[in-house]
Amino acid sequence: MLGMANGILVILQAWLLAFVINAAVLRHESEASVLPWLWLLLPLFIIRFFLALASERAAFEGAAEMQKVLREQLYNHCQALGPLWLASRASGDLANRVATGIEALHGYYARWLPNRALSVLLPLTILVAVFPTDWVSGLVLVLTAPFIPVFMILIGKGAEELNQRQWRQLARMSGRFLDALQGLTTLKLFNASRHEAQVVADISEDYRTSTMKVLRVAFLSSLVLEFLSTVSIAVVAVLIGFRLLWGEIAFLPGFFVLLLAPEYYLPLRSLGAHYHARMEAIGAAEGVVEILQTPLPDRMPRQETVPVPDTLLGVQFQSVEFAYEPGRPALRGATFNAEAGCVTALVGTSGAGKSTVMNLLLGFAKPQHGSIRINNLDLARFDEAAWLEHVAWVPQHPHVFAGTLRDNIRMARPEATDEEVEAAARAAGAHDFILAMPQRYHTPIGERGAGLSGGEVQRLALARAFLKNAPLVLLDEATAHLDGHTQAAVIDAIAELARGRTVIMAAHRLSTLALAHHVVVLEEGRVAEAGERAALMASGRSFARLARIGNATGATA
Amino acid sequence: MSSRMPSPGTSSRADFWRLIKLLLPYKGWMAAGCALSLATLLANVGLMAVSGWFITSMALAGLAGATMNYFTPAALIRFFAIVRTGGRYLERLVTHEATFRLLSELRVWFYARLEPLAPARLMKYRSPDLANRIQADIDTLDQVYLNFVVPVVVAALGIAIMVTALAFFSGRVAIAAFVFLLLAGVGLPIYTRKRGDKPGTLLVESRSALRSAAVDGLQGLAELRVYGGVERQAQRVMDISGQHIQAQRSLSRLNGFSQGSLGLLVNLALWCAVLLALPLLGSGVLQSPELPMLALFVLASFEAVLPLPRALQVLGEALAAARRLFEIIDAEPAVKSPAGPSPVPEDSSLQIRGLEFRYDEAAPWVLKGLDLELPEGGRLALVGASGAGKSSLVQLLVRFWEYQAGEIRLGGHDLREYQAADLRERIAVVSQDAYLFNATVLENLLLARPSATEGEVVEACQTARIHDFIMTLPEGYHTELGEAGARLSGGQARRVAVARALLKNAPLLILDEPTEGLDAVTEQELLAALDLLMQGRSVLLITHRLTMLAHLVDNVAVIEEGRIVEQGTVVKLMASDGPFRRLHDALGA
Repeated sequence: MLGMANGILVILQAWLLAFVINAAVLRHESEASVLPWLWLLLPLFIIRFFLALASERAAFEGAAEMQKVLREQLYNHCQALGPLWLASRASGDLANRVATGIEALHGYYARWLPNRALSVLLPLTILVAVFPTDWVSGLVLVLTAPFIPVFMILIGKGAEELNQRQWRQLARMSGRFLDALQGLTTLKLFNASRHEAQVVADISEDYRTSTMKVLRVAFLSSLVLEFLSTVSIAVVAVLIGFRLLWGEIAFLPGFFVLLLAPEYYLPLRSLGAHYHARMEAIGAAEGVVEILQTPLPDRMPRQETVPVPDTLLGVQFQSVEFAYEPGRPALRGATFNAEAGCVTALVGTSGAGKSTVMNLLLGFAKPQHGSIRINNLDLARFDEAAWLEHVAWVPQHPHVFAGTLRDNIRMARPEATDEEVEAAARAAGAHDFILAMPQRYHTPIGERGAGLSGGEVQRLALARAFLKNAPLVLLDEATAHLDGHTQAAVIDAIAELARGRTVIMAAHRLSTLALAHHVVVLEEGRVAEAGERAALMASGRSFARLARIGNATGATA
Repeated sequence: MSSRMPSPGTSSRADFWRLIKLLLPYKGWMAAGCALSLATLLANVGLMAVSGWFITSMALAGLAGATMNYFTPAALIRFFAIVRTGGRYLERLVTHEATFRLLSELRVWFYARLEPLAPARLMKYRSPDLANRIQADIDTLDQVYLNFVVPVVVAALGIAIMVTALAFFSGRVAIAAFVFLLLAGVGLPIYTRKRGDKPGTLLVESRSALRSAAVDGLQGLAELRVYGGVERQAQRVMDISGQHIQAQRSLSRLNGFSQGSLGLLVNLALWCAVLLALPLLGSGVLQSPELPMLALFVLASFEAVLPLPRALQVLGEALAAARRLFEIIDAEPAVKSPAGPSPVPEDSSLQIRGLEFRYDEAAPWVLKGLDLELPEGGRLALVGASGAGKSSLVQLLVRFWEYQAGEIRLGGHDLREYQAADLRERIAVVSQDAYLFNATVLENLLLARPSATEGEVVEACQTARIHDFIMTLPEGYHTELGEAGARLSGGQARRVAVARALLKNAPLLILDEPTEGLDAVTEQELLAALDLLMQGRSVLLITHRLTMLAHLVDNVAVIEEGRIVEQGTVVKLMASDGPFRRLHDALGA
């Protein structure tokens, strides 16, 4: 609509200008009689100014709404896909799609689409004005115009493919350079860093030659476009000129058409300038659509939920089977008990199924066979949120949220007082290092815990678990990344936490096992052995073997 | 040009000229690109102006029934059309050629200056995305020629030529055109940029806040579910998304204003040209056909200023990027190379006396008079809590950092007498953060010795117990490892690093926490591989794991707060009730 209005104003303006010049130059009218017509142009200019504001606004608002809705959809879809799916993806990349990927789509809606519409509407409007005035010029415009999109498509198709290959090559070249920067220390240690400079030079040189080969072809499209629009303006001018000489048309329509001819090609040409917005958007859209098309995990039909018991919780795994993908089972009929009020340790090599047990207990995945029972009630019958209120969890790689240290601990219980937060931090052995931070509990923490060591992050996560005060505590390698002194302190803290609670902890190392009453040894998704720690040591089977290795490498069981 | 910079302080002026200097090697290409671009611009102006003159003359001649020479203007029109078309094509080729040459040059230039600084001088930038930032900054600099130099040079020369040409016909029209061109090409972009400063900053901030909130919501989803707050975080993401869109809205309004104003200025220039030229017709200063000619001339001349707003923006971005890059490479290398050639070491023994070291003058001392001796072929373990100075010692031994006092002798000569490259030839390091490149397994291995034969590579991998695994990969030794060795587990990556050290075959071996972060079984396998690597070499093993030592080393030195506090065999140290025993008991809890 606004584009149409603008088109009509363009025509009106051209006509007025042609009229003024015609009057002054050919009819030799006096300056005074021409001036009023000239003044008439000014309000037109003003209206066109406001039209420009309005059309930008309209294009923006439409795209902004799309951006808002699509971002919400994408984020929600990612969330619905769940923690396990997210863990399998690079989260930095996903976050980029939510933030900048959607923004690239904005450019498509706010610039490419309106301009594409304009590139059809404006020339059509101009044709409507040109034909009645001078059909010969109109014919020239009509005949050349279709060539433009046709050539654009013909050359554009091939060029787009080449373009995408170039993009990939550019990405490879950039990747190689990035790699050299990141691995600079290693390159130096091997005395290979000087040589790498030559590699960087060679690769960019290759890129230049191959890209130029592509561009020589790709720029042909702009050559054709430029050629058609320029030559047809020239043809229109020459044709009009000769017919003027022969007296076949009047000056006013002739000049009017000459003024409109560049306007006719302008939107088609500026479309090319917005082409990169389209390319960018297509790349981004692929990333977004790929996620939105990932099917959500099946929702179990909602059964009647039962309330989670408010007592000590005992956990039973009964022939639980689970595979992350078909053919690669992670648990194959695991059966064991974690008794209420006890500390149960899961041991086994990586890949034995320890983390899967945690994921199932947290509801991130559901058993495909068998069941998990909590105090003899099927876990599947609890409302998920209600169940998780009864669980505290310290993952192997805890996430630190943007915000202060206090916010990070208090997320476990937003209504907790400062005293309670501090008590939890003390219990987790985090209080001392927090006091050493510049603003203590109010110290802001960078993205993904920048500024905290692995051990500090782990103690922060432990503090969360303390603060939450839940009856079931899941610890996934809670003492990994800690040096000797800290490790001892944290183990004491866990012993404190275990009092009056049920604790299930996964252990790669055996050093944390001193706390465990019971040990469950997992091997390839099955329970190889389970029982009291001392009894298992004495039996000389799986656990004793693992413990020997552990001993030899620096830990005591 | 410098007056057009966002903040023309002396430092940013210096940065600007330094940046321009970087472009100089390609001045031939660049000048050619600018010339072609200028020709294209002027051809269009010429085409429009001659067309206007031509049809008016023809109309007048037609009315008067006179004849006229129409060959010259018609030929001119054809000439301009061809120059315009061909010029645009050549201009694009030449400017892109120049850009790609520059791109290659910039990368090599920067890399060559960064190389001597790593890793010591890059420590303070230590953030996971330093490399990403450098990459983005260099990408920004790639744009300088195409999107800043060409438009500015062409606009400046083009305006000068066009205004001069106009002045031949009418001084008044020339001045009016000049004023409007300046308004549209300089005034409007600067105004828009000033007004856009704040929303622009907001936009960048909200984008990074949005990203960070999304990372928290997605990467932290597991914790959010367990600890509550999924909804809260989703709300946060949407709130920030709203702020982000609001910032975009301000910029979009500004953009609309700028577009509209540009159109207005073009139209006003045209209008003024006609208004000023009209009285000249009557007085005979101007001939009739020259009025439409001037009108169309002025209209077409604005093509020169269209890319200037973008040029100003590119300049701002490029200056900021250049400033960051200059700041990085302007550091002095941490270690100076000796003037003469390296001495020939007698063996690969190490003697360290009274070594003192700190990272900078404000930092606390890390090593405070360290004494250590590693005889030729000996195996020494250096143990201590994290932060005791163990890893700093490694940094000194490979000459990544300079020590302030004391002496290190390798093979009987002062470490400072060796050229760094010769020194690193003699030392192999296996550390917990060995970097694997996004290349094939083979390329990663050959890094250590590019001349190694296939047999040698396979032998090294067999010794490192990684050969069998490599053979299970889809393309064996030619399998791409992915970003930072993504295809390998921690233990496998470490064993590739061991194989690399084997290939390097250096007489002095430094193992810096080689099993850190591995589980017990994997650690056991790696140690077996390490044992083979250690044979026949002088070895310095750095660790805070104690019980694995007895089989691996002859002697242990305990480091505490930058000094050696105890030294001897494992058995002896266990027997005495000293620091080693205490450390051992603490870890074994």
